[in-house]
Amino acid sequence: MHREIVRAPGELAGAFLTWCASWWRVLHFGALALVMAFSPATYDRDNRVVTANQIYFTAWQVLPWFTLLSALLGMVLIRIVVVTAASYGLSQYALEMVVRVLVLELVPLTAALFVALRSGSAINTEVTLMHIHGHFDDMRRAGVDPLRRELVPRVIGSAVSVLALASVSGAVALLFAYIGVYGFSPWGFDGFTRTFGHIFDLQVTMGLALKLLLFGLAVAVIPISASLEAPREVRLAPVAVLRGMVRLFLVLVLIEGASLMIKYI
Amino acid sequence: MVQPELQPPPLIPHVEFKAVLLLALTLALIGGFLAYVMYARGVFESTQRLVLVADDSEGVKVGMDLTFSGFAVGRVQRIELAEDGKARILIDVPRKDARWLRTSSVFTMERGLVGDTHIRAFSGALDDPPLPDGETRQLLSGDASAEIPRLIASARALLENLDRMSAADSKLSASLANVQAVTERMKGRYGALAGVLGGDANAAKVVNALDRSNALLASLGELSAKMDRIVGKADARVFGQAGVMDETQKAIAQLNAVLGDARESLKKADAVLAEAQAIGSNTRAATADLAALRAEVEASLRKITRLVDQINRKWPFARDTELKLP
Repeated sequence: MHREIVRAPGELAGAFLTWCASWWRVLHFGALALVMAFSPATYDRDNRVVTANQIYFTAWQVLPWFTLLSALLGMVLIRIVVVTAASYGLSQYALEMVVRVLVLELVPLTAALFVALRSGSAINTEVTLMHIHGHFDDMRRAGVDPLRRELVPRVIGSAVSVLALASVSGAVALLFAYIGVYGFSPWGFDGFTRTFGHIFDLQVTMGLALKLLLFGLAVAVIPISASLEAPREVRLAPVAVLRGMVRLFLVLVLIEGASLMIKYI
Repeated sequence: MVQPELQPPPLIPHVEFKAVLLLALTLALIGGFLAYVMYARGVFESTQRLVLVADDSEGVKVGMDLTFSGFAVGRVQRIELAEDGKARILIDVPRKDARWLRTSSVFTMERGLVGDTHIRAFSGALDDPPLPDGETRQLLSGDASAEIPRLIASARALLENLDRMSAADSKLSASLANVQAVTERMKGRYGALAGVLGGDANAAKVVNALDRSNALLASLGELSAKMDRIVGKADARVFGQAGVMDETQKAIAQLNAVLGDARESLKKADAVLAEAQAIGSNTRAATADLAALRAEVEASLRKITRLVDQINRKWPFARDTELKLP
């Protein structure tokens, strides 16, 4: 009993250190991936093919479906907001509310969650298995940098996917917001532009860009780092996947929460 | 050794093209979005500066609109505190909208209980010269919430008055009690009369008085009918056939005749006197004629006197009984 009490702080400190080191590895890998994504040397012929494949699988394939889904969801939400605002006599605030809720918050978060569910989990599993099977060691022995050949393309694919899904469905949401508030008349354009200019001041625009970038990075970087930390045992692979996905959701929620706090508090 | 599955063959046709297309689409959307944001925020517009000075800049935010007739014609660019402690609100007005602002324009700030603060411009005379760039103007503020304390103070005074008026010993309730007493009395046999006169006995007196007045009026009516008849008779007597007036008329005709006679007699007397004067000497001889003439004149005068007496008898209203002879 006494020994346990003495040992507990030590264990706690050890766990904390492990936790910190793990997050540090996530940040390190993220920074590395970011730098590599922006350096032209990364994109040699083979890498371009791999990156193109990743973009195709994570973004191109899902873009129509996701756009349709978010358009439907957006239409319902816009309708609810417009009708509710009209019933309270606050129609002039409907457009602002729709844009703030939908374009600034819901669409990026939905895009990130969608990519995380569809590609993040797949990447997590795939990289975990590759790690366990020692493929990365094989590549290193063959003189190929696994980070550059396999991992960075996945990060780029996910980031592009989040960005593409968010911007396409954001544009669709803006279009539906215009139609929802003004109908098919072109005469609402001035008012729409004015409200749009009000909402997107420098702070909000930069915040949106930063949020999308962080979402895009998190969706690929966190599962991949979790996979690389996994012990090389196939039976422990699900644990690595689970940890990666939980961490990813936590980070997505934290980013969203932080962006809301900065904007509205 | 490189594993064959680590470099998957490009099974998808034109995968690079598709990836580039998607990237281009995304970049185009982002670029378009940024351009639209800049356009919406007026980056491409040439603007002029307007400085509004207000006592209080509460509720004013950067990016807020300056509206004219409900249309946004400017945007708050900066808010700063001046050396004299007043708030300076720097507004950018696009040059194409600057024509709505004139030297005579008035700028107001309205703060509602709900919703945003509004800065509004009012231009009464659009013929005035346009507002120059960098102009500093006073911002008049109409504040709904600033009115509330005053409103509450007057409402409290009103409520106190009401309270005083509705207190148990207040004049109003005493008056109401009196009114109630009066209306109680009004419910009695003599109705409102009892209420006004303060009791049934008094009301009964009034009713009696009225009854007697009625009787009096009835007898007065009879009396006036009788009077009517009397007047009718008098009328007949005075103005009717063979009435007083008729007789008087006849008497006057006689009088006229008598007066004519008298005039004739006097003329004769005049002639006689003239003759008497001319003759002079033979007075005594003429005495007999004179005596006869005198008798005639006397007779005429007596006739007149009698007639006048007769008239006086028949004409009851005459006061002046004297008859003047010509």
